[in-house]
Amino acid sequence: MQKLRPFFYPILLFVFALILSIALWIGLLPDVIFRLRIDLGNILFVLGLLVGAAWAGLIFTWRRSQEISIESVTTEAGDEKRRFLRRLDHELKNPLTAIRAGLANLAETHLDEMQRQALSSMEAQTLRLSRLSSDLRKLAELESRPLERTAVNVDELLHETFALAQDQPNAAYRELKLTLPQAPWPLPSIQGDRDLLFLAVHNLLDNAIKFTQAGSKIEMRGFEDGSSLVIEVADTGLGIPEDELAHIGEELYRARGARGIPGNGLGLALVHSIINLHGGKVTLRSREGKGTVVTLRLPQN
Amino acid sequence: MEKKPKILLVDDESAITANLAPILERAGLSVTVAAEGEEALQKAATIQPDLLILDILMPKMDGREVLRRLRHDGNWTPVILLTQVGDSVERAMALEEGADDYLNKPFDPHELVARIRAVLRRARPGQPPLATAARLVSRDLAFDRRSKRAWLGQEELTLTPKALVLLEYLMTHPDELLTRERLLDVVWGWDYPVGTRAIDTRVAELRRVLKDDPINPVFIETVSGQGYRFAGEVHTQEAS
Repeated sequence: MQKLRPFFYPILLFVFALILSIALWIGLLPDVIFRLRIDLGNILFVLGLLVGAAWAGLIFTWRRSQEISIESVTTEAGDEKRRFLRRLDHELKNPLTAIRAGLANLAETHLDEMQRQALSSMEAQTLRLSRLSSDLRKLAELESRPLERTAVNVDELLHETFALAQDQPNAAYRELKLTLPQAPWPLPSIQGDRDLLFLAVHNLLDNAIKFTQAGSKIEMRGFEDGSSLVIEVADTGLGIPEDELAHIGEELYRARGARGIPGNGLGLALVHSIINLHGGKVTLRSREGKGTVVTLRLPQN
Repeated sequence: MEKKPKILLVDDESAITANLAPILERAGLSVTVAAEGEEALQKAATIQPDLLILDILMPKMDGREVLRRLRHDGNWTPVILLTQVGDSVERAMALEEGADDYLNKPFDPHELVARIRAVLRRARPGQPPLATAARLVSRDLAFDRRSKRAWLGQEELTLTPKALVLLEYLMTHPDELLTRERLLDVVWGWDYPVGTRAIDTRVAELRRVLKDDPINPVFIETVSGQGYRFAGEVHTQEAS
């Protein structure tokens, strides 16, 4: 019925014309001239039909052009971003390869303690850059690879990611809680790429652990909301300042408070990409100094 | 005394070749360098290397074109492709075109040495590498690479797409220690630490379907703390 709404007026016009014509035909209206009555009825009927059809056609094409332009804008912006990330990654690869090889050669020479330390630090930083390069590639690649569609047991997935998070060393100092429904039934399965979804949820938990301190609470919950399946990861951590909220999902963006904490700002961008690929939505709410909650909304199909 | 294996290293970035050559030499390999495709083909003809390392993105003639020309001429010298080969489709294509292996940049130079050693050990002189065979057979396990289907005896196996990619890689790299990170990269194009679990899940799936006992494996062996190895002997079969 939703789809028919723009056609409401054309249909109304058509029905009106039909009723009027029938009325004229069967003589409900004053009989001026017999022939005129019939002709008028025919004319009105055809006119109503034509106007209604024209109107419907116009509305239809107008709506379609609207939809297409929205689509092309989002894919164009997405393509440009992907191209940029690919180019950036490409430019980093060769210098990094050369540097790593150079450092390996240096390691074979005779070095004193101070030199060894300097070398070790350079190796560590190069590794960090290599990881960034590889993350950029993943992000760019993500949107072009085919999605595996199988039935994903979300209940099991959330238990697994939670167990993995609990194993992390820092998790010992945080209070972790997982809430999943048992009644009236557990979380349904959804169609999707299990590994990608695992990665997305893992990233959220990882962030929650990273951006909280000892004694903080981290809660993960899953529940059904209408036709969506919702997964939420909430923490009582640093929170994100209001002026930074809009940017937090952008690639390489790191909030002021994140300085000093390891990471390259791609975690959330990856989550966004993955959830978008599944036709879902990611929203984030946060209060600086209080906490953050990230909500993943996935369509049930 | 055994001769040193001859390596032809091809990359247009001189900083890379200048730094890699000494590392490979120290590893007991004899290295010749070429800076682009034409030069690579010429040098391959004259020095007859035991292995070629080819960068893909080079001006004029890229690494894949060099590879194609070599294979077209019936030259099956093992080749390792060096670069980001883009997505998994491109990777699969590169292997189908006759490369023995690939290594993504930026890489740890020692990893390159390890791969070279593995490829040389696997090499069958004068014959196409396992990576190009149409059909791979190990005992009663058969894998048809064109149709991406596998059979155990007469029974066709039902495997998820990723498990099939994994099985194919295992069978084209027999008797080689494959780390979880490397397998992750092959199957998904990633090396996220958390993802390594995903490999374990797929290996478990393969073992279940192949009826392979993890304690006494016939096919897939766990190398404790490091990764997996395909323990079965693999032979090629031309497609019937």
